[in-house]
Amino acid sequence: MTAPATLDKQAGRPPLWRDVRVLSWTFQLAVVGLVVLLVSWLWGNVQSNSDRLNIDTGFDFLDQPAGFPIPGSDFRNNQPISDAVVEGLLNTIRLAAAGLVLATLLGVLLGIARLSGNFLVRTGAKFYVEFVRNIPLLSLLYLIYLAVILTVFPRPVDSWTLEGLAVLNVRGSHVAWFDGSALALIGIVVLGMAAAWGVGRWRTTVAERTGQPARTALFALPVMALIVAAGWLIGGYTLNRPELDGNRVSGGIEMTPAYLGALLALVLYTSSHIAEIVRGSIQAVPIGQGEAANALALSGFQRTWHVILPQAMRIAIPPIGNQYLNLMKNSSLAAIISYGDLTKVTELGVANRSPAVPAYALTLLIYLGVSLVISLAVNIFNRRLALVER
Amino acid sequence: MRRKYVRMTAPLLAITLIAAGCSDDEAAPGDTGEEVAPDTSDTGETADAAGTATTAATESTGGGGGGAAMARVTENDSVRCGSRDDLPGFATLDENGEPVGFDVDFCRVIAAAVLGDAEKGEAVPIETDARIPALQSGEIDVLVRNTTWTASRDGNDGVTFLQPNYYDGQRMMVAADSEYQALEDMDGTTVCVAAGTTTEGNVATEFERLGLTVSVESFDDVDLLQEAFVNGQCDGWSSDGSQLAGLRSTYPDGPESLVILEEVFSKEPLASAVVDGDSEWAQAVEWAIFATIQAEEFGITQDNVEEMRESDDPNIRSFLGGENAEGTELDVGLGLPPDFAYQVVSQVGNYGEIFDRHLAPLGLERGLNALYTDGGLMYSPPYR
Repeated sequence: MTAPATLDKQAGRPPLWRDVRVLSWTFQLAVVGLVVLLVSWLWGNVQSNSDRLNIDTGFDFLDQPAGFPIPGSDFRNNQPISDAVVEGLLNTIRLAAAGLVLATLLGVLLGIARLSGNFLVRTGAKFYVEFVRNIPLLSLLYLIYLAVILTVFPRPVDSWTLEGLAVLNVRGSHVAWFDGSALALIGIVVLGMAAAWGVGRWRTTVAERTGQPARTALFALPVMALIVAAGWLIGGYTLNRPELDGNRVSGGIEMTPAYLGALLALVLYTSSHIAEIVRGSIQAVPIGQGEAANALALSGFQRTWHVILPQAMRIAIPPIGNQYLNLMKNSSLAAIISYGDLTKVTELGVANRSPAVPAYALTLLIYLGVSLVISLAVNIFNRRLALVER
Repeated sequence: MRRKYVRMTAPLLAITLIAAGCSDDEAAPGDTGEEVAPDTSDTGETADAAGTATTAATESTGGGGGGAAMARVTENDSVRCGSRDDLPGFATLDENGEPVGFDVDFCRVIAAAVLGDAEKGEAVPIETDARIPALQSGEIDVLVRNTTWTASRDGNDGVTFLQPNYYDGQRMMVAADSEYQALEDMDGTTVCVAAGTTTEGNVATEFERLGLTVSVESFDDVDLLQEAFVNGQCDGWSSDGSQLAGLRSTYPDGPESLVILEEVFSKEPLASAVVDGDSEWAQAVEWAIFATIQAEEFGITQDNVEEMRESDDPNIRSFLGGENAEGTELDVGLGLPPDFAYQVVSQVGNYGEIFDRHLAPLGLERGLNALYTDGGLMYSPPYR
């Protein structure tokens, strides 16, 4: 019985040059080696050429006073550049975060509208999506800034005001805001949301046990409103209302025209892409699901909300995550209309005294970091939503 | 629109250029990732290979681009100047798309001095934040682009500034029908500026000094800035006085709808710049500029330069590269042809002529830019 053993041995140990594992390792190591060589050669080139031309490649410039203000921010001229970079990053996040939420809401609505039975809604959504999706974002940004922000919005003296709540003009908008600790208020809202979630859970159990309608929102929302209102009163929060005085607006929270323009452009643009993803995902849900919901006599809203969307979203999340990344990176275009984001700060810095190579390299790394965080969040969310198959 | 996108990527392009620059020289020793050691010799090789026996090829201490620019210019037979295309008076495009203006003429001055032909000066439009990297990477030979000479630019940026060709100062422009008579009136206002200059910082500093608050909006694009100003997004528009005069002259509602406030709140010596450590090239460029000033002082103009070559004044004769009475010719050893000043004046003109051609039509006075003999700052070291 030696023959099979020999065969086994031969099968287990082919000559090195034909061993798949050895070959794949060799090739992969070779590729990695080449990449490392290429990168180190390029970096060496940057270093030596920079030395030759007396260009600074260190990061000491971050401690230098900036020497420039950041549009739409309280940043002082003489704060260090590192502060400016942080401020720029915060502005990028402010723009991208608001953009993500609004683009998602608008995109999902549009995606559903694309499949509406109503001809007008369906066609309107189609024209919108096909128009916005097929033009360059930069053109859209210029268009919105020049044609909407600068042209449609009124001069400061003729500001549009929503009595005591908002003031809007070509210099931007001021919206009523609260005075007091923001962190504590966030805590209160989170507490309210947790309570609402608990109430929702309780209603679901009751519904499952007794068969009565759950009416989750009817119970949960008042609870949340009550908690937030109580927190507002106990915390001594007051409303800070914007007031128009000649050319100037005081009070409230300010949104610069650049912010409004960039937000509008990013939301319109990204929502058109998200709409297409949502439409495709809804159409990817087996048609029998909708028919089954109809057979159960669910209403149109119930069918969409409880049956179609949960399944469609599972398909839509990964590509929507891509759109989130795009939106965050596209927010760098806002620099051209004087929005003080990370790109703008780097531009200003380089034009003043920051060395270009490390300054842009740093910016690149920060964008990369933010992208990875978004990517990670989407992945975690996706994993939680994924069908668990047993 | 596309064009702007392309221009925005210019700084990154510049980085790539630096990264990939001289790759041909370095690829040869081998791709083994050896870094610093071979490069020192490489620098020398580059200079030697390109340096067509320039006598005084300056080998700088820190290994700057020693003598490289002069050799490059001679080899390309053209001087590439970093310039712009959107600043009336200084550098714009004429109806044929050719660059014209005060800065463009100084580019032609340099070409006339170095290569003997003003037409060989090529004004390349460059974005503000890409101008220094473009100079460092050798994409342009000299920066003649309305650039303020400051200590930190001189110190940190690896460039050397030369004789200013225009002494400017920052000012504020407001609508003629506004309530603002002086900076003091402008508390809590919004001021718009062109991005990437010393202007933003100056506005913020000056308002801080006066104890006023201001919000500064900065735009990459002057056209966009003007659009924002026209539509009432800004109370003031701040920039160097000369720029404001130019922008005012082309304002859509007419120049009379804008006023420039009296205060001058910064020193802005606008100077040409070259790469650090290339003193041969720096001297050549600097003396080309001095030649325009010296010519005006001597009273040499484009019209009378031919007669002046035969002048009885030995200073003028040697300045224009002619033989003196004893039949000898002065060679000052600048690496420039002996008749460079003659070429400059005959092809482009003296300082006053260049000023009158481009800046006087904007309503700018000579002011600080008059000759020192007229109480200005324009002074050339003696040519001897």
